[in-house]
Amino acid sequence: MEMKFIEDPRVKVSRRLWAISWIFYSAFLAFLMGLSYTMGTEPYIWGLPRWVAIGNIVVPVVFVIALIFVAEKLIPDLPLTDEEERGKGGKE
Amino acid sequence: MNWATVSFIIYTLILLAIGIWSYRIVERVPIAKYEEEFYAAGRGLGGVVVALLIAGGLASAGTFVAGPGMCYAYGYSWVFINNMQTFINLMFLAPIGLMVGMVARRVNAGTYLDMFKARYQNKAIIVILAILVTVFLLPYMATQFVGAARVISQMTGIGYFGALALGSLVVLVYCVLGGMRGTSIAILVQGIVMTVGCIILFIGTVHYAGGFQKSSEILAGLDITLLSPTMGGVFSAPFSFSIACLIGYFVIGMPHAMLGALTYKNTRALKRGIWMGGIFVFLWTFLLCMSGTIGRSINPGLAVADEAGPWLAMHVMPGALGGIVLAGIVAGIQTTVAAMAIIIASSIAKNLFKELKPDVSDRGLKSASRWTMGGCIAVAIGLALQQPSLIQWIILFAIGGLEAATFGPILLGFLWKRGNQWGAIASICWGMIIYALGSTVLPQLQVGGMHQSFVAIVSSVIVYVIVSMATAKPSDEIVQTFWGARTQA
Repeated sequence: MEMKFIEDPRVKVSRRLWAISWIFYSAFLAFLMGLSYTMGTEPYIWGLPRWVAIGNIVVPVVFVIALIFVAEKLIPDLPLTDEEERGKGGKE
Repeated sequence: MNWATVSFIIYTLILLAIGIWSYRIVERVPIAKYEEEFYAAGRGLGGVVVALLIAGGLASAGTFVAGPGMCYAYGYSWVFINNMQTFINLMFLAPIGLMVGMVARRVNAGTYLDMFKARYQNKAIIVILAILVTVFLLPYMATQFVGAARVISQMTGIGYFGALALGSLVVLVYCVLGGMRGTSIAILVQGIVMTVGCIILFIGTVHYAGGFQKSSEILAGLDITLLSPTMGGVFSAPFSFSIACLIGYFVIGMPHAMLGALTYKNTRALKRGIWMGGIFVFLWTFLLCMSGTIGRSINPGLAVADEAGPWLAMHVMPGALGGIVLAGIVAGIQTTVAAMAIIIASSIAKNLFKELKPDVSDRGLKSASRWTMGGCIAVAIGLALQQPSLIQWIILFAIGGLEAATFGPILLGFLWKRGNQWGAIASICWGMIIYALGSTVLPQLQVGGMHQSFVAIVSSVIVYVIVSMATAKPSDEIVQTFWGARTQA
């Protein structure tokens, strides 16, 4: 009799992380490129062209800070070995 | 002997000490566990080291030497393009890091190609990838040595060959003696030196230039396109987007980044590796690139743009601080070389050698690992003696080639159960052929001004899917190993 395949719950988490990372990076690129191409040079901000100050300083800093929260909140603490996984009942 | 030389020699001596110390650690490990210790540092690395391992491995001479150079030549447009690499750790670890960590422990995989072996169970894939990794990474490594030697030579006054020896032999020592363990200890020191060096260079450059406002006005007077996001149309949006794909979406295809995924201790280290990597890469990239552009307002007459970083370190700050910047730039290059050396050595000594001689003993493998590692670095040093001039193009070519060969088989191999060995072989071959054509006789494949790797990578993914669907499913054993829940025996 053929055994029914049971997917490891960590696989689902992994697929979700892939989707989160691609969405996060796409949002970053959209802001980085969108603002850099549309802000223009003047008036200068902090002595730098406006698109540099906003697109190349503010946007990356905001996204780097956001990444800390995304990584810490959206990535669950999971066991990596099957022994630990069985020990916790295979739950996320 | 100037201050830069003294600082750099102190840094080099610290790395040599780390090499000897890690050798003693590795030698204490039982022979049966040696392989896991030498190639994966016992799978026990924490978040900071994982962050530095991936970030430092991927941010190479292209960031630390060519970065400020390109920004010197092309102004703020290249700062904008380089900023796209900020999230390389996220883009590598989040999609496949968890799966690699889980499966590597199931199948006891210690190397990059061990993962392919477990997923596709096909000797041809191992042999083809071992050859491709070596062919692309060796010249890539050589360009790193060239970049390091030029920086050391310029800042210390030592001749090119002496500088090449100084920058490369220390990597040979700590990689061959300590393997991944030596690299992981060294990278902590190098990470600190790299970050401090970048901060010092940026502060010194901005201060010397008289602030942002003054430098912007000088740059506008020199060439107004230096203040444009496209360099006055030189870098189109499609070109910038294709570079973003290379250093963002497709970065999974970079073999040496796999070291971080194979060696992290737990998911806490994975998370920290992701966000700390974002901080490190942003700091290195932004500070160096801004220094390069602002540096042009200080000295617009440099004959070779790649000399911008070392020139600034020598002229805008006191000698000892310049030495720290020198060490930081060279450290950034050495971390890349170390990661590449481990990947090539593991591919040849562990995977290729074992495929050809399955009955090799643990002791024989230990010896082969060290000799192969030493041999690879020696070959790269030999190639660096040729002093190629166009480092940045060789780097981009190697990145494109590696990603064209491996992006589909890695990403879909981990995320899609239906993908199989035939899809992987077809994808690798297709990617290589299209990349070769796009780089030579069919420049039309650079659609809309995009880098030639873009079409090769995207089409190779499509080929992977089509061929996998048209051929037999992977075995139940593979599906169970990669995606199945392990129930109590």
